[in-house]
Amino acid sequence: MVPTTVVGSYPRIGDAPEEQRLRRAIARFEEEKITEAELRDVERSVVKEVIEDQVGAGIELPTDGEVTWYDSQSHFSRHLEGVEVAGLVRYFDTNTYYRQPVVRGPIRWRGPALVDEWRYAASVAPDGVKAVVTGPYTLASLSKADGRPKREVVREFAAAVAQEVRALREAGATRIQVDEPAITRAHDEIGLLKEGVETIASEKGSSWLCLFTFFGDAAGILRDLTSLPIDNLGLDLVQGDATWKDLQRTGSPIPLTLGLVDARNTKRDDPRALAKAALALKGKAPLEESFVSPSNGLEFLPRERAREKLRLVCETAKLLEAGL
Amino acid sequence: MSLLTTSVGSFPKPPYLTKARTQHSKGELPDEALRALEERATKEWIQFQEDLGIDILVDGEQYRGDMATYFAENLGGCEVSGLVRSYGNRYYKKPLVVGELERRGPITVDWWRWAQGLTKRPLKGMLTGPYTMMDWSFNEHYASREDLALAFAKVLHQEARDLERAGARVIQIDEPALSARSDELELVVKALGVVTRGLTAQTITHTCYGNYDAVYPYFNRLPIDQLDLEMSNSGLALLDRFRREPLKKEIAFGVIDVHSHLVETEEVVRDRIERALEIFPPEKLYIDPDCGLKTRTVEEAEAKLRVMVAATRAVKKERGLR
Repeated sequence: MVPTTVVGSYPRIGDAPEEQRLRRAIARFEEEKITEAELRDVERSVVKEVIEDQVGAGIELPTDGEVTWYDSQSHFSRHLEGVEVAGLVRYFDTNTYYRQPVVRGPIRWRGPALVDEWRYAASVAPDGVKAVVTGPYTLASLSKADGRPKREVVREFAAAVAQEVRALREAGATRIQVDEPAITRAHDEIGLLKEGVETIASEKGSSWLCLFTFFGDAAGILRDLTSLPIDNLGLDLVQGDATWKDLQRTGSPIPLTLGLVDARNTKRDDPRALAKAALALKGKAPLEESFVSPSNGLEFLPRERAREKLRLVCETAKLLEAGL
Repeated sequence: MSLLTTSVGSFPKPPYLTKARTQHSKGELPDEALRALEERATKEWIQFQEDLGIDILVDGEQYRGDMATYFAENLGGCEVSGLVRSYGNRYYKKPLVVGELERRGPITVDWWRWAQGLTKRPLKGMLTGPYTMMDWSFNEHYASREDLALAFAKVLHQEARDLERAGARVIQIDEPALSARSDELELVVKALGVVTRGLTAQTITHTCYGNYDAVYPYFNRLPIDQLDLEMSNSGLALLDRFRREPLKKEIAFGVIDVHSHLVETEEVVRDRIERALEIFPPEKLYIDPDCGLKTRTVEEAEAKLRVMVAATRAVKKERGLR
């Protein structure tokens, strides 16, 4: 069976009043009407709900939906020494914003940032969850570090992410994904990304490590990416549809996560067309061991559309399996 | 005239209006009752701006929800999506394009005419730009992003012409998504050009929270008279670039961070204005907040605007500007 997964984020609220309890809880917490412990309880109930959505749709390797993340950059950065979290900046072309990390001094890992969240998610997922960490190249690219050479900043973030990966592994995480969307916007900096991934991979032990690139293509750097010390490469094949040609030409020696279903638009994808496109890679990439997924995190869609996209991922995987 | 003060567009809705909107959305309040409260809030904001002495007014968009969805609700071919997150704990609904876009009639003109009737000072006509409308919509109909942006441009041009005919002397076309994709900047210029073609009113484009470095070379090419920029949230980071590569247009310079509960001191705002004056001539420099103030409370927004006006007056007095 061709396995299915998601990229990471998932809509944390829906349109039904009951699905908006996290929104209400955060507002009440900010007004000091509920305690932090009460807010955490609501967060956890939503994490459980989000995992149930994924598993119910047939996703085999879910995530916690990044339900507790303020955003993809500050959630991890705010735990680091030498980094402050500052003003809002637009997050790529998503019409969402992140709080920009500002590097004030040497970056040091102070302790686990994601382990407790992973542990809870793993306890409510029948077959485990994938831990997701923002990658050092993207952290460095989207941070402000006036005057510091980027290579140095990537190295310091990489050391911190590597320690987080080790902490996750030691806590029992066997599937870990590192997100590096920024590389799709700067292929010429593949050397920096490579250095960061190598540092992280040195701490992965026997855990399965996936590198996911999204919000654009990996054309021209595919060979570099597939030769990294990783177990799986995730590709956005919608916004990054220029990668298809490269995939056809060079193939991949390692399993892939095929980001086939459009996670940025509500339009219903055609699973047959997606499966057919993926089948064209038969013999060029180990498709039996590859995953099917949305093209990026699903939080940019309304929840009911995100649910539909989960079903489309599973339908596409079945059709791909049949074709294999 | 120099250092004219203005606002970007939205103001917070007072609690009575927020409550009424919720009741209206549940069907518990009729349209006319909601309209009456929207008019009351608009009158209050116009009175506040007049009392404060702001030079170019806005109606505060008390009758609008999200800036893109408002237009979607009033266009043929558009629906409104479920909730999606903007940042933190803020959510909004997006336009969902399901057919050919069609302007069934004027969208903002009646409100503009009514609100302008409340003041003798100029009131901005406010539109959301075609590129932003496209970028912030789910597209289930048009074949490409360009096709959709140009379809929005066509209907927004009709709206701008009607605003102008109604008497609007200043028309702002917001493009916060301007820097979303650096490979689409030509499309931004093209689509904005469709909207502003043939207009005689002063035209403004507001943008914010983006990668200005990539966009900068396009600033002087935008087919508008004035560029309205968020500057304070980004620590006035663009000033050096403006020094090296002069802007050939007027600028409205954001001196108030709209995403902070903290009300700036007059000294901080004066410093921001002084730094802007190192580069821009006072007659081409307008003073306003970084962005719409709708995410603040009424009290915070009022306090921030008071500081903005006081700081501007202090700088003008010190420099002997009129």
